[in-house]
Amino acid sequence: MAAKLDPISLEIISNSLRSIADECFAALMRSSYSTNIKERKDHSIAIVDREGKLVVQAALTLPIHIASMGGLMRCVLDKFDGDIHEGDIFIANDPHTAGGTHLPDINYAMPIFVEGALVAFVCNIAHHADIGGMVPGSMAGGMSEIYQEGLRIPVVKLFRQGTLQTDIMDILLLNVRVPEERKGDHNAQIASCKLGARRFNEVIDVHGLDNVLEAFDEIMSRTAVRMKAAISEIPDGTYEFTDFMDGDGMGTMDIPICLKLTVKGDNICLDFTGTSKQVLGNINTTLNAVQASACYALIGALDSDMPSNQGILDVVEIICEPGTLLSSVFPAPVAARAHSCQRVIDVVFGALSKAIPERVIAAANGANTTAVFSGVDPRTGKPYLYFETLAGGMGARATKDGKDGVQVGITNTSNLPVESIEQEYPIRVVEYGFIQDSGGAGTYRGGMGLRRVLKPVDHECVFNGAGERFRYKPWGLFGGQDGGSGRFLIKDKDGQRRLDDKPGEVQVSRDDVIIVETPGAGGYGSPEKRDAKAIELDQRSRKFSDSYIEKHYGGNANSSTEERQ
Amino acid sequence: MGWTIGVDVGGTFTDFYAANDESGAVHVGKTSSTPSNPAQAILTGLSDICKQHDISLDDITRLSHGTTVGTNALIQRSGDTVALITTKGFRDLLEIGRQTRPHMYDLQRDHPVPLVDRENRIELEERMDAQGDVVTAPAREAIEKAIDEVIKTGATACAIGFLFAFRNPAHEQLVAEIMREKAPHIALSLSSEVQSEFREYERLSTTVLNAYLQPIMSKYLQTLEDGVSRQAASATLGINQSSGGLMSPQRSRELPVRTALSGPAAGAVGAAHVARQADRHNIITLDIGGTSADVALIRNFEVDVAFDRDVAGFPIRLPSVDVETVGAGGGSIAWFDRDGLLKMGPVSAGATPGPACYGQGGERPTVTDANLLLGRLSTRGLLDGDMGLDADLSRAAYQPIADELGFSVEKTARGALGVMVANMVRTIRTISVERGHDPREFVLMPFGGAGPLHARDVAISLGMREMVVPAAPGIVCAQGLLVSDLKEDFVVSRRFALNDAGIKILRDALAYLNKRAAIWFKQEKAPADVRMLQLVVDARYVGQNFELAVPIASAPSLGTTDIRSANELHILFCDSHETAYGYASPDDGVEIVNVRLSASARLFKESDPVADDASVLDGKPREHRSVFFNDDEAVETAVYSRAELISGQTINGPAIIEQLDTTTPVYPGDSATVTPHRHLIITIGEGE
Repeated sequence: MAAKLDPISLEIISNSLRSIADECFAALMRSSYSTNIKERKDHSIAIVDREGKLVVQAALTLPIHIASMGGLMRCVLDKFDGDIHEGDIFIANDPHTAGGTHLPDINYAMPIFVEGALVAFVCNIAHHADIGGMVPGSMAGGMSEIYQEGLRIPVVKLFRQGTLQTDIMDILLLNVRVPEERKGDHNAQIASCKLGARRFNEVIDVHGLDNVLEAFDEIMSRTAVRMKAAISEIPDGTYEFTDFMDGDGMGTMDIPICLKLTVKGDNICLDFTGTSKQVLGNINTTLNAVQASACYALIGALDSDMPSNQGILDVVEIICEPGTLLSSVFPAPVAARAHSCQRVIDVVFGALSKAIPERVIAAANGANTTAVFSGVDPRTGKPYLYFETLAGGMGARATKDGKDGVQVGITNTSNLPVESIEQEYPIRVVEYGFIQDSGGAGTYRGGMGLRRVLKPVDHECVFNGAGERFRYKPWGLFGGQDGGSGRFLIKDKDGQRRLDDKPGEVQVSRDDVIIVETPGAGGYGSPEKRDAKAIELDQRSRKFSDSYIEKHYGGNANSSTEERQ
Repeated sequence: MGWTIGVDVGGTFTDFYAANDESGAVHVGKTSSTPSNPAQAILTGLSDICKQHDISLDDITRLSHGTTVGTNALIQRSGDTVALITTKGFRDLLEIGRQTRPHMYDLQRDHPVPLVDRENRIELEERMDAQGDVVTAPAREAIEKAIDEVIKTGATACAIGFLFAFRNPAHEQLVAEIMREKAPHIALSLSSEVQSEFREYERLSTTVLNAYLQPIMSKYLQTLEDGVSRQAASATLGINQSSGGLMSPQRSRELPVRTALSGPAAGAVGAAHVARQADRHNIITLDIGGTSADVALIRNFEVDVAFDRDVAGFPIRLPSVDVETVGAGGGSIAWFDRDGLLKMGPVSAGATPGPACYGQGGERPTVTDANLLLGRLSTRGLLDGDMGLDADLSRAAYQPIADELGFSVEKTARGALGVMVANMVRTIRTISVERGHDPREFVLMPFGGAGPLHARDVAISLGMREMVVPAAPGIVCAQGLLVSDLKEDFVVSRRFALNDAGIKILRDALAYLNKRAAIWFKQEKAPADVRMLQLVVDARYVGQNFELAVPIASAPSLGTTDIRSANELHILFCDSHETAYGYASPDDGVEIVNVRLSASARLFKESDPVADDASVLDGKPREHRSVFFNDDEAVETAVYSRAELISGQTINGPAIIEQLDTTTPVYPGDSATVTPHRHLIITIGEGE
């Protein structure tokens, strides 16, 4: 092995590796078909070492995907030990046997060989718009087994030594809706792998294999050291926090997530013992998704510029009993795992608020509010599927308000333009805006939830949805008030009424209207200390009603008047 | 004897480039910028350059101007109150944007607060559907009520943006008409006029930016026009746009947002001009200044254009020169990150205190300090004696880092430059590879004060074998303004399938766009022999949500026969898709979403290069000094003055070529040849 790499060479090699990941990310985004990938960037790229350890991610990689790559790699290495060849491409999605986190996320991994030896893998994950199963979009609730959620792909070789296994591709495409589009997504993922492999070999040519492999280890170990340094800034102690999921959509309500977070020196342990058993509905998660969420929260609170790699995962100890909500096992359905992941982040912030109050935020919309419309387009006679996740409030911060109507936590996907929706689907968007009074009052207030009102045009359609924090509101911190909760409503000939929080297969008639409201977020610090100018702006902008302001800040106006006198 | 003059206003200096239409003589000038009223520096500099070179002010026929007034106003948010009238139910759209946050992990960073306060966003009950058919027509009283509310806000400008106005602008036009009667003092920006394309947030954002800039730009142009007409009465004024062409002052008043990204655009157009003179078709530009570097692609002498850009965090969707910026320049500071890796930038020492070697109190090690330590920069400094550089201060700045690494100061400096180069290489890869191009098929063109200093390492990293260093690398932007065409872009935003019926729609669209272009040519008094039209479609496979701009015809005039069959266009699209994304799906249907016609009128006449004055040029080195190139040992190196080089002369490395505005190292094994236009072509040796 070469002499120890100096910090300059290391930075240059690390930069080249990040460059590969970013290029592959852009290539995948631009050549895919799914709007999830193209417009909403619901995909990720990673380079992992030959032992499956995560070395580098693309800059825009979604936090949820950080651990899924590792999960896939462990399965590839276990199952194909000694049978990995140049030109192979592995593919998988199953959460229970192949390291996935939910079925629509399809993982790809391509081994890279230098002079006959396996040296690394380039991997990508992309969220396909459909993976089969009972309901279009493969994200709906109301199912109790993973079989119902779509096609389960174990780790298989889609390419054997450069040759596409067309029989496998045929199985994949036969089981999904709109197969021609999904084929485009697969092609984009394949092309992205190949681009990564080509680039990786160029980097080896320039820097030498030994140096690049040494850089792998250095990148991960230096990040581990950095993470440990950040952890040691947290005062030693044990910090507990519990929050509840509204329900699983299958009858189980008030599902606890319990955390005991212990810091000792530069060690940290997140013990989720006490969390609910796994549930019948699809909000279960696999352990690797929890690992990704917990690490996201720690990075956000401690050192947001930290590189995202195995070094972080190795430092953070997580205890989660198998068979629980956060470490579910076969046959748990997991499609809507993002809701629980988002809640894990809130819970980690809640626990940390007792240790490093100035670095965390109050509870955010803590959900991944999902709306899916499907039917037959009366203009073309073809089936359509419109899927979207809506943002909500961001938790208030120690020094400023939470942002209104924005994606938080493990997701940062874009909305679909109204003009795209209406051109492509027989849907009309009637309203899209903030919900008055939905940001929890505080010295700094929580962000506001979003309201989107939609209706089918000239046809009947089916609506599926999934919401969280529709009953357990986003909590405030240190006297900050809770933010507003979300809800689904339908307005039909009988008037307006509330739907289930995880509504499945709702028939929407011609003149009916569906209203989606997402949760706001909690405030930070006592409302009494809110700046008079900020209150004035809350009122003037009509983001808050007079009555809300009177109720929560009523005393402030008086006190500031008194001060003036 | 007519003179045309390009004026580029930068943060520190305002640059002038004057060219004579007949003799081909050129002069350059520089004066300090006057940020509070940029017109002042322009007028002062103009009379200076004329005095200095005996140019009669009356002989100036054209003044082409690149302005950062709009860009700065957006960055500093220095505009007045602006209002918005939008479709009922959608006033928060401007604030929600695409519902994302700018950084995944950073809990503190947000997108900027919208330029229109929520209470100044007025909703109007009206609606068009996706086909442009009226769903709800706005009532007259409702319109008047909305206008009253706008007046109450005290706004000096108002944006009007309705859903699907790109399909049918009738409601926007109706509101504007009534508003012009009721409130003629308020400047108006209609989304259907500013940017008539689908995707409401980007269109709305662009329109609001435009409204915000209208009062500012109008005031600025008034001052400038008054001044110019007093000083140089025969000069027509052209204002540079982000797309790399000029527009009239009147158009700039209506569409000031088109200037928001015009700064880097002029540089790219200037580079394309140099490329033509040097006969190099495919160029990657690298314009390195004090705090940042701009990179652009030129293919077949044309600058690439992109449609999605942002300024000060606000998206702008308009044709803009496709320039990528990276936070790496001469002032970029070297520092250790928390994991011990050495980073360069994006923090910069800026102009004050500047690099340590400036002796103005800067103590942190910068890129410029590294170049000085390696002998690549002269201690006499860039301005040839005006401001000396102190290498001892650079050494002191780098010493702590060198100690930490256990390296010599020189090795540390070389490493620091290596990190900076890696950052730039990453950006160049992004812009070339993402667009489906291989950098090895391009020639690198470095300019700006620091470009030529770092270009060689960048070229090597990207596998490029040749570089072109322009004759005057410090004023390529001003030169770009001088050679820019007058340009206007027209668009029809329609989604239709590419089939026989689609060809008919395309032909109708072209006929409509042709009419608009004809009116524009007439307004701008563009003679027929300098006109050029380019027809481009934004197309995609059915189901994709991302378009590819495919040029389909280009000629002085375009008719229906220039539109080929659906089949041929399908093949053309597939080829472009293959280039851009690495694959094509020949069996899949294609749809068009926008039809664009770009009209331009050539203003600049190329003349032959002026012959060398052999009596003053000797092409000999003026001195020798020791310089570190890629070895640990310095080599004794000849130093040339660029101004004394002879056309056709070849200099073999190692050599340093100095000039007023930059320094170009020629590495051992490389060779530099002077072209008739006095550009340097550097061929990278095979040794490395």
